[in-house]
Amino acid sequence: MSKCNPKEAIRSDRRAFIKTTVLGSGAAVLIGYPLISYFITPALKKATGKWVDFGAVEELSPGRIEMLTYEFMVKDGWLVLPQRGFVWAKTTQDHQIKVFSSTCTHLACNVIWQEETNQFICPCHSGRFDSDGKPVAGPPTKPLLVLDHKIEEDNLLAYLSF
Amino acid sequence: MRAKTLNNTAEKRPESLWEKLALDGMVMRLRTLEIYSGALTWNRFFGSLLLALLVLLFLSGAFMAFYYSPAPGYAYDSVDYALFSLPFGDAIKGIHHYGWNLFLIVMGLHLARGFIVGAYKPPRQFVWVSGVLILLIVPAFIITGDLLPWDQKGYWSTQVRISIMKSVPWVGDIMVQLVQGGPMTGIVALTRFYVLHIIFLPCLLVLLLGIHFHFIWQRGLCGLISEDNSSKITVRFFPFIFNRWLVLFLCVTLVLGFISWYWPAPLGDPADPTDSTFVPKPEWWVLFLNQLVSIFRGPWSVFGSVIIPGGLTALLIAVPFIDSSSERHPARRKITLIIATIIAMVLLTLSIIGYLEHHV
Repeated sequence: MSKCNPKEAIRSDRRAFIKTTVLGSGAAVLIGYPLISYFITPALKKATGKWVDFGAVEELSPGRIEMLTYEFMVKDGWLVLPQRGFVWAKTTQDHQIKVFSSTCTHLACNVIWQEETNQFICPCHSGRFDSDGKPVAGPPTKPLLVLDHKIEEDNLLAYLSF
Repeated sequence: MRAKTLNNTAEKRPESLWEKLALDGMVMRLRTLEIYSGALTWNRFFGSLLLALLVLLFLSGAFMAFYYSPAPGYAYDSVDYALFSLPFGDAIKGIHHYGWNLFLIVMGLHLARGFIVGAYKPPRQFVWVSGVLILLIVPAFIITGDLLPWDQKGYWSTQVRISIMKSVPWVGDIMVQLVQGGPMTGIVALTRFYVLHIIFLPCLLVLLLGIHFHFIWQRGLCGLISEDNSSKITVRFFPFIFNRWLVLFLCVTLVLGFISWYWPAPLGDPADPTDSTFVPKPEWWVLFLNQLVSIFRGPWSVFGSVIIPGGLTALLIAVPFIDSSSERHPARRKITLIIATIIAMVLLTLSIIGYLEHHV
């Protein structure tokens, strides 16, 4: 090989370089594709939701905003665990119901209804929402999420996504 | 005997253990290695201290893994068991806990000193850049490590961090999904945080550390401002510099050990995802970022969460290329130092405001 002329040497180098490129990218794909799929697949799963029963509508008192807690089983990877939390149900005098998510639209802390000020308060960064869920003070800019709800057999159901 | 061996090299018969192991060349190089005597002295030890802390963090972390179960519920019990039921459990967790806090402080001092004395000046630009890269992965260690005990503070701080991550335009959601392995912070997320914390991030850190040392090795340690490279006094690394480092290592181990013994590392109540009354307080090192996030509201929020922190990071990395003259003396780099002081003061003020707001 060493006796080859310079042109032949360059060609040989080039062939070796192309081989390295092909073999190297082959190895990268062969190793990388399974590993990356393995790593990201569960992450690509879309969030799902379900209708959650919050009990009898009659229990809600008109003109008030009440905390309704939930607990249901949810699959987290290889575990089935109870998911707990709460929502805020607003009942008007004419029995119109609105269900607010308790998640602050700023940084996902749980907001608390404060009867005295007529506002939802986020304890984390002092965000405030009025009784319609509109942001009125602090960092949040988006209103509280209003959850879909329905009444089945006199029970209030709300759609929670997780 | 030795003389005979040296004379009979033609025989090429391995004699000493090092020769048998084919390590004689390396051992000889280490034994005769001379380095700048100012590398580790009474008034210059931040880098060596960081290395000592890193050794402690790796050791304590590796041993804590013997007693850790990365599953919600079990995680808390396993940490509680290791902390209170094992001999030296408090010391090992404490050294890890106080170790990373001290690591962050010393890292800040290391950076500040390097900045003031112009250690990033040619030919040492990439010593600085690689160091900043190490600084940038440290928060990833803290964020992943904080969740592992599965206590209230770790869980709720993680919720806040995840929503900050989500607020990053375009890539935020997918980033969160990847880090958590799904939409919620449960067993999949905890396992991911654990594996990132104990395998992937340490590997990355060792790689970056290797790069940092590579540039220090190739481009030399930064001497005194008055010295030029030729006037540096050197001293043998083994045993002199190494012994100084061992003294430092012993001191910091003892100090952290005693601190951990007097004030055990905190472990809150077990995480309760339904407990909305727990308000996570931002930790001291993140107060300024937290203030930035809360100053910019509405459409401006991207300034506080992405643009300003990103800009400051880019600025930090680019320091050696912005202030690229070879002048190292602080008095002749007034503008650079004034700008840096103003930025540092603003960040410090934000931190103090944040501290008053959240901790007092």
